[in-house]
Amino acid sequence: MSTTPTLVDTTRSEWFKFRTVRASFIGVVTFIFLTIGLAVLITLVIKSNWTHRSAIDRLAFDPVTTSLVGVFFAQFAVGVIGARFITSEYASGAIRSTLASVPRRVHLVLSKVIVLLVIFFVLSEIVVVAAFEIGQAIYKSGHLPTGSLSNSSDLRSVIFAGIYLTMLALIGFGVGLILRTSASTISVYVTLLLIVPIIANFLPSSWQVHFTKFLPSNLGASMMSPQSSTNSFSWGTATIVLVIYTAVIVSAGTFLMTQRDA
Amino acid sequence: MLKIDHLSKRYGATLAVNDLDFEVKPGVVTGFLGPNGSGKSTTMRVIIGLDRPTSGRATINGQTYDQLKAPLREVGALLDAKALDPSRSARNHLRALALANRIPFKRVDEVLEFVGVASVANKKVGGFSLGMSQRLGIAGALLGDPGVLLFDEPVNGLDPEGIRWIRDFFRSLAKEGRTVFVSSHLMSEMAVSADQIIVIGRGKFITSGTVDDLTANAAGTVLVRSSDPSRLTQVLNEAHGVVEPVNDAGLSVAGLTSDQVGEAAFAAGIVVHELTPQRASLEDVFMDLTADSLEYGHRSEAVLP
Ligand SMILES: Nc1ncnc2c1ncn2[C@@H]1O[C@H](COP(=O)(O)OP(=O)(O)OP(=O)(O)O)[C@@H](O)[C@H]1O
Ligand SMILES: [Mg+2]
Repeated sequence: MSTTPTLVDTTRSEWFKFRTVRASFIGVVTFIFLTIGLAVLITLVIKSNWTHRSAIDRLAFDPVTTSLVGVFFAQFAVGVIGARFITSEYASGAIRSTLASVPRRVHLVLSKVIVLLVIFFVLSEIVVVAAFEIGQAIYKSGHLPTGSLSNSSDLRSVIFAGIYLTMLALIGFGVGLILRTSASTISVYVTLLLIVPIIANFLPSSWQVHFTKFLPSNLGASMMSPQSSTNSFSWGTATIVLVIYTAVIVSAGTFLMTQRDA
Repeated sequence: MLKIDHLSKRYGATLAVNDLDFEVKPGVVTGFLGPNGSGKSTTMRVIIGLDRPTSGRATINGQTYDQLKAPLREVGALLDAKALDPSRSARNHLRALALANRIPFKRVDEVLEFVGVASVANKKVGGFSLGMSQRLGIAGALLGDPGVLLFDEPVNGLDPEGIRWIRDFFRSLAKEGRTVFVSSHLMSEMAVSADQIIVIGRGKFITSGTVDDLTANAAGTVLVRSSDPSRLTQVLNEAHGVVEPVNDAGLSVAGLTSDQVGEAAFAAGIVVHELTPQRASLEDVFMDLTADSLEYGHRSEAVLP
């Protein structure tokens, strides 16, 4: 009892808190189900329609991204889990006992970030690999073209799909740090991912070219597509932009937390 | 030792704590007394670093709370018993706190046992009664075996047996040499449970001392019974006493000593049957002291229609 606690101890405490609430379990199951379930659904639909496709369509077919499309639904689940990791503490008032045990806000945020980073990186990679492999198996059974993890560009697409989800969990968390209530955080998060792209559609197309590639979901698309297309970032640049977003949002939230009363 | 150093805290237009400056010493139970809204909870929140002071600071053994390496091993606080994640069990709530401060899990079970919630340790705290949450909060405060303990209105929600238990418990903590700082808005509670009392009103320091100090310094009244209360009233009024009739031909006199009352009656030739100095109760002292600083509540002159 005499040794001084470190970041390792506060991180263990946060990990313990994450795994001892049922809501985390439900969130994680939803996340897995969405990513893998949608991969199964969409690849099955593509497989059954294959014979009706034109030759050009068949040529443009991308077996990798189509099997990963569940990521764009799962991003809502991971964002909500990330957000609730902090907003649920504000809602119940438990944040006050948390801060009494870890008064240094920066340590607390760092511990929570480490927990989310590790959980969602590991989980997301497992889930996207599973979605990918199941999708390819379904394509293969219908004699469609398939991708493979032994192909380096396919492997990279799959890995970065997982990184995309990990960053989005942290963005949800960062917005939660700033806004503190679950309802407002989830509204802003959904607006960012769903509503802003719709609004962007109404911009003059000369603007769209410059603007839409910065949208988080388009960054995700760039990160997980095997080849980069015009008007979008390369996977490397897209990853850097997304990491900068994440860092800015989490840092802003941490700064606000150090300034505000709990 | 706990030191409050010219502490002020402002929330928008409200100056909740106004230049408080005092020390809370180890070895005794110190009561922190003030009417509703006088800034007791705010002071406690600032002590444990939940709220940032507007100016001044609070230190524990010379350090501010966020400088403490293992805060729960130096300060135990129970501020709001219901501020818990309702979906976590009591044991897991304490285990999370224990992990962050390197306190062994064995200690979690000890404190749960000690406060009497061991039988529901695996139940979700969302279903706990206020009294059970309060006990769990006390367990949390004791978790790190700290030298400084803070309790904000700890008797709220406890049954009479629980209240007795907690009073004895504070005493024993103090006897072990710990600093025990307990707030209440009830004078009667403080009178029986605290050795030393700090009184605040509207965020400002009013007075401090032992229960005896506070009552001794306060002006008491004199009870006098005589053969002619109405004439005695007149005589005492002339001597600048404030007289109020009490039952059985008695008068309660404020502003004069019992000697002065006796002499005035003798000079007027009135027979006195009883002449007793009345010591002010702690409750009276409190009402007197905080009369100007009531944030909410009734002023004596307020009359309902
Ligand atoms: N977070 C806050 N925002 C704005 N005002 C606040 C806040 N917290 C407290 N106050 C105000 O500060 C003053 C002191 O409140 P505080 O809760 O510290 O009093 P208290 O002595 O604990 O009262 P009680 O006996 O009712 O618990 C009150 O006027 C209150 O309304
Ligand atoms: Mg209070």
